[in-house]
Amino acid sequence: MVKECKVKLKSSDDKIFEVDYAVAIQSQILNNTLGHTGCTDSALPLHNVSSQILAKVIDYCEYHVNASSTISEKDVKMWDQEFVKHLDQATLLDLLMAAQYLGIHNLQELTCQTVADRIKDKRPEDIREIFNIQNDLTPEEEEEIRCENEWAFEEEVSP
Amino acid sequence: MGANLSRVYEGDDGRPPAGYPGLADIPENCIAGIFRHLSPLDICKLARLNRAFKGAASSDLVWAEKLPVCYQDMLSKLPLSKGQFLPKKEIYALLCKPISLDNGTKEVWLDKATGGVCLAISARAMAITGIDDHRYWRWIPCEESRFHEIAYLQQLWWFEVDGVVKFQLPAGEYSLSFRLRLGTSARRLGRRVQVFNQVHGWDLKPVQFCLSTSDGQHATRGYYLDQAGEDGPVGDARGKWTDYHVGNFVVENENKLTEVKFSMTQIDCTHSKGGLSLDSVSIVPSKLQKETENKHAGCYS
Repeated sequence: MVKECKVKLKSSDDKIFEVDYAVAIQSQILNNTLGHTGCTDSALPLHNVSSQILAKVIDYCEYHVNASSTISEKDVKMWDQEFVKHLDQATLLDLLMAAQYLGIHNLQELTCQTVADRIKDKRPEDIREIFNIQNDLTPEEEEEIRCENEWAFEEEVSP
Repeated sequence: MGANLSRVYEGDDGRPPAGYPGLADIPENCIAGIFRHLSPLDICKLARLNRAFKGAASSDLVWAEKLPVCYQDMLSKLPLSKGQFLPKKEIYALLCKPISLDNGTKEVWLDKATGGVCLAISARAMAITGIDDHRYWRWIPCEESRFHEIAYLQQLWWFEVDGVVKFQLPAGEYSLSFRLRLGTSARRLGRRVQVFNQVHGWDLKPVQFCLSTSDGQHATRGYYLDQAGEDGPVGDARGKWTDYHVGNFVVENENKLTEVKFSMTQIDCTHSKGGLSLDSVSIVPSKLQKETENKHAGCYS
């Protein structure tokens, strides 16, 4: 039985979004909540998600609800790549955290993979600059980490 | 906090302005999610980014996924059940070093970049026709071999080497190769030199390389180990250790022992052959397989 009701979501900056039930339950958290409360008229507050990000999350979920039965896997993948392609670093990270918070597994995978692709060939120094990471480790701690991970960078001895 | 990093700001190159929150603010479990999509070496590289990355880089959840399904089996081969209670990352590091099997005649290890399981089988573990006859074969210590010795063929007509290995390999595709060298090395006047005077016969007929698995897969390839030249055989492979790729096989059921038999033969007794060094056979995940370098040696299936 597919529920036809609409679900209201409220972003952290108090904007209301209305989505189909099928779209909302792509989020494990919302699925659990709606399982208890059923469809109500009051908006579910999402304290951790801004309206800008929630709009994007909803775009993603709406596409994927419709895509599951009608669109080929290859085309879905292409759409996903386009979806993340031009996101700036901050938006990408916000999406990643929102996906984590809301429990949207495939969006989590997509955003994690995208961040991984953007950092994997870069040196730590460059990543710090691009993503604005402050190094909160002491020089001693850094040295300790270097030693602990030395095995990963040792030259292969045996043929 | 939360997913609010991307409020409108001035900056058009995708970078947050200085002082703006960034990757540093995301919780450790999100970093662990990113790490699941990075290689073990990348994770080690990024461990020193900041405290949150350091924490995620040591997470058992992250490293449990990098370990192969047979890791407990590999650990059990270590002396004194070393490593049973270590954090998963340290287990991974431990298993990247070769583990001796079957009285030192075989080794298994993880490829550190990918976590792929690799095997090496020494010449000692193989059944070599005529190995006990010093007219034909000798054992020579060799620093370039992971087993520190190689079997050297002086001269023989019936050239046959057979071997088998059994191991619980994770599912996937694997490549098998023989590691061979034409010629040997010797000390002359205090220096190590390559010696090719016994190399003969390999340009006349190809050597047949075969592999087969207990579930019915098999592959065959023929290689000329040397090539005929105007003044006698010459080959680019002379003096170089070369991995002769025999073929690939697929492991589907990783809950069973995979048994792989392999052989190389050249039993045309109209000509003798010799001057060949045999080191080992290697089995590696096929994406790690290097192309057989001896491209000039003819090859046919």
